[in-house]
Amino acid sequence: MNPTEHTLWVSVIIVGFVVVVAVAALLSLLIYLIKRIDGRVDTIGATLTAAKANTAETVLIPQVATGVDAVLAEGLQHHLFLGRVLGKVKS
Amino acid sequence: MTVLVVLTVIVIAALIAGLAVYLYWAGTLLDRIGAKLEGAAELVRGIVSDAELIGPGVEHINETGGVVAGALPLLYGMAEGIVAGVTPAAPRPEVPEVARPASGTRRSRLLASVGYRPELSRTYAPDSRNSMITKVTHRISARTIRDHGTRAARADRS
Repeated sequence: MNPTEHTLWVSVIIVGFVVVVAVAALLSLLIYLIKRIDGRVDTIGATLTAAKANTAETVLIPQVATGVDAVLAEGLQHHLFLGRVLGKVKS
Repeated sequence: MTVLVVLTVIVIAALIAGLAVYLYWAGTLLDRIGAKLEGAAELVRGIVSDAELIGPGVEHINETGGVVAGALPLLYGMAEGIVAGVTPAAPRPEVPEVARPASGTRRSRLLASVGYRPELSRTYAPDSRNSMITKVTHRISARTIRDHGTRAARADRS
């Protein structure tokens, strides 16, 4: 092996180490970003869990609507009753 | 040369090992994130199914509540009419007596001065409250006329 080839080989090995270090740095950055995403996904999950707990009671809304309908029906009965009584009182 | 070969092998092995370790690590983290996102998607679907009940339910409640709120004043009016019809009417307040001066009623000479005699009028009421006043007025009027006649006779004689 002549000196030129030796020098080139050594240079290639050095460049290879640099590439390994650069790849390790970039993958470390990737891992850091993935961990940030993981933390924010945890935050989103907690927020969605709270929102689900808040909206879990919406099944009561149709029941409330049914109750309000019952109030309206009872009010109509009161209207009929008061109409009959008012007619008798005025007569 | 052997050293160079070894170093080359080490570089290649380090590159492969680093890539493998980091990619496995990243894969594990991404897999966990995917599982969390899948759970979040389930939560979002649950929230959507819960929220679908809000719109029609609130609209129904609003409509029915509006009808109830509009009918309540009518019920109030009917109830007040019933109460007003059932409650016995309170006695009407008596009209207070007309205030009169403490010094008594002043005698009027207007009727006598024009020769008006209330006893000849159809409105004359001797039992009324003013009958005594009328009698006194007539008596005084007669006395005044008589005195006037006496003074006139004296003047004729003189």
